[in-house]
Amino acid sequence: MGDVLMECMEIFSQDGVQLKSAQATYVNYLNLVGTLYITEYANSNCKRCLEWKPNDVTVDSDVQDQEWAVVNTVQKRSRTFSESQPPDASTRPKFLKVNFNDIKSFKISNKNRQLTIFDGKSEVTCCFIFQHGDCDYLLSLMRGLLKTVSAKRDKHLYIVIHGDDPETAQLDKSFAELNIFQDSSHPSWWKLVKNFQERPYETTFETFSRVTDFVYRSPDQRDIDDDQRELLHRSLTEYASTHCQGDYEVIAKVPELPERKDYPRGRPLSTEQWKNLQNHEGKLEDVDQIKLMIFRGGVAPNLRYEVWKYLLDYFPWDSTQVERQKLLCEKNDEYYNMKLQWKRMTRVQEDNFSDFRERKNLIEKDVNRTDRTLDFYAGDNNPNLQLLYDILMTYVMYNFDLGYVQGMSDLLSPILHLLKNEVDAFWCFVGFMNKINSNFDIDQAGMKEQLQNLHTILGFIEPQLVNYLDKHDSGNMFFCFRWLLVWFKRELSFEDVMRLWEVLWSGLPCDNFHLLVCVAILETEKQALMENNYGFTEILKHINDLCGKLDVPAILVKAEGIFHQIKEAEHLTDNIRVILGLPLVGTQPSPEEVISISPDSPDEDPYEQVYNTMQHIIT
Amino acid sequence: MSYAYLFKYIIIGDTGVGKSCLLLQFTDKRFQPVHDLTIGVEFGARMITIDGKQIKLQIWDTAGQEAFRSITRSYYRGAAGALLVYDITRRETFNHLTTWLDDARQHSNSNMVIMLIGNKSDLESRREVKKEEGEAFAREHGLVFMETSAKTAANVEEAFINTAKEIYEKIQEGVFDINNEANGIKIGPQHSPTNPSLPGAGGAGGSQGSSCC
Repeated sequence: MGDVLMECMEIFSQDGVQLKSAQATYVNYLNLVGTLYITEYANSNCKRCLEWKPNDVTVDSDVQDQEWAVVNTVQKRSRTFSESQPPDASTRPKFLKVNFNDIKSFKISNKNRQLTIFDGKSEVTCCFIFQHGDCDYLLSLMRGLLKTVSAKRDKHLYIVIHGDDPETAQLDKSFAELNIFQDSSHPSWWKLVKNFQERPYETTFETFSRVTDFVYRSPDQRDIDDDQRELLHRSLTEYASTHCQGDYEVIAKVPELPERKDYPRGRPLSTEQWKNLQNHEGKLEDVDQIKLMIFRGGVAPNLRYEVWKYLLDYFPWDSTQVERQKLLCEKNDEYYNMKLQWKRMTRVQEDNFSDFRERKNLIEKDVNRTDRTLDFYAGDNNPNLQLLYDILMTYVMYNFDLGYVQGMSDLLSPILHLLKNEVDAFWCFVGFMNKINSNFDIDQAGMKEQLQNLHTILGFIEPQLVNYLDKHDSGNMFFCFRWLLVWFKRELSFEDVMRLWEVLWSGLPCDNFHLLVCVAILETEKQALMENNYGFTEILKHINDLCGKLDVPAILVKAEGIFHQIKEAEHLTDNIRVILGLPLVGTQPSPEEVISISPDSPDEDPYEQVYNTMQHIIT
Repeated sequence: MSYAYLFKYIIIGDTGVGKSCLLLQFTDKRFQPVHDLTIGVEFGARMITIDGKQIKLQIWDTAGQEAFRSITRSYYRGAAGALLVYDITRRETFNHLTTWLDDARQHSNSNMVIMLIGNKSDLESRREVKKEEGEAFAREHGLVFMETSAKTAANVEEAFINTAKEIYEKIQEGVFDINNEANGIKIGPQHSPTNPSLPGAGGAGGSQGSSCC
């Protein structure tokens, strides 16, 4: 009886057929020449098949493959194989077998010498080259045995129309009705099986959670009575309470971070406070204290005009009123000198200076696409656009190597908007660029380094989230690119941008505090990202969509809390100390530093010391 | 909203050629010349109907400046269609097409449908690239070509929809693996379980797309 079932009839055979591509399983047979058959089985589900078998099965493939891959002129080479006639059909070991039912379409190409089979699941199921003539006869046979239509786009592509198979349809339907897995096409099921093998622990939990979701979240759609739900709930909570602690010990223990404390925000630095901290020469008395106040609460809007010039290193913190007046004159001249350099460039010079022309064209374009919805920059022929343009062009002359990179106009816009003075805005912009010019490296090395650093710090605070991101193609942190490039300019309102920037410009409490701001936001979004099982696209989209939804004071409180956690963590690594500019283990501050900054307590850094003495002021 | 398929598109090309404006014209049917320049990537989406099926286009709009190329490359992955845009009034944007195309081909899946677009066709008086040149480039590189104007909306619908049709046909032909999201195609949530493989030449379809809310 068994013999009858396996009975097979050969409808067609052709030798000299080379296997050009196939699924990974057949990699060892690629480029080998063999015989192609169409076979028909008398009593089986897969009635007709396309089969291919290499001429010499014993050929050891590894060496062979490399050689063939390099030479790649198989058609011209005449290799002789021992076997030339088709052996007996019943004993023949078949190699590659494609069930006619699985053929979705097939294509004839290369002057009718190449046949490609598609199954709609993988890019190419298999591809054969006919070395002894064309495949016209095979084509006519296949078109006779299969119901096909030519594709509209390519008349050499034949699409197979399969009759509805009631059994398959039924099976699909029953899977579908379960609908536990949103995308429960067959591959997902296999993925689940594979996951069980590779990560049994996580997969089990994941699957249980889906069952819970199924029961809890869609009761209106399913007939589950309350008893069942109650039972499930009880079993889950009991499991959690009895097993949790003991079982989790088994898994590698993550060192604990110190407790997170809240550091409340303070009031913005006021005009009165500012005035009180200057002596009769207009020199600031206690710079550390001022910086700390700015870090805690920012600057009152009406005082920004003055304070930003210090924050952006235009005015030295220890300068007197007289010194500043002198500086203004010098900087004024210096600016207009540089401005004249590009203003005076002749047409011919420009034509012969492609790097300059390129930067100029880009600035022209971008000035018209920067904050145009703000009144200050709105409307055609707005003189402020000209200021924006002139400053950026002058910056090109000031720092030609950096030149102009997109994002710079976003950084200049709030500064010019606030100062409304070309020269002041230029020098403040220079100060800002000095802080973050690596963002605009032409090879983006600075951005990549920051993204990497962010990954490192996030891994310290939220290893679970970093692990999740790594597994979802997002370990490069590219979704934070815009945040970092223009310091959240695109995510926040104009007022919030100004507040955040001035806090960050204070340089407190550590280097790269903006990375901790990122960590604080990501920590807040962790649940949304992970519970929704977001992938690369969804993560990027979710982060992009936070635009306009971020609460700056809350984020700063959190970021500062994170700073203290990191700083006090016992397992803090030098890697992170370097990123945040914290003293490395075993290094002592130099004697001068100890004396000048904190004579009483050499172990404390300036931030910490001033912070402690300031507690009464800020609360 | 229910859809039979989701196609991922990416819009690429030099800075200032009108990528974001094309997207906005297609998704919102409006032209906004004062749109902020794109940093990183931005998203747009719109539902279209092909062969009686609802198809959601998820469009990734990228920054064009050379410096950001290495970041943009990571966005090619998993795109089913690409709109490669140049500005007919600026020859250099046309001259850079080859590097864009090389980049796209190298970092995307081999089946990605690429549509070449010469934008700003409303600025005829400032034209620097002839239509025939665009056509010849497209022919030479096996791309579909169209001149558009994001300002007047001329051919904008067609550019996005024809690309989708091309992708749809490839699915019908079995060339695209619809179960592998790396190909930029996702089956709609209501559609996947009952219909992992499509009916042959589009015959019996349609009913599914319209049956859902």
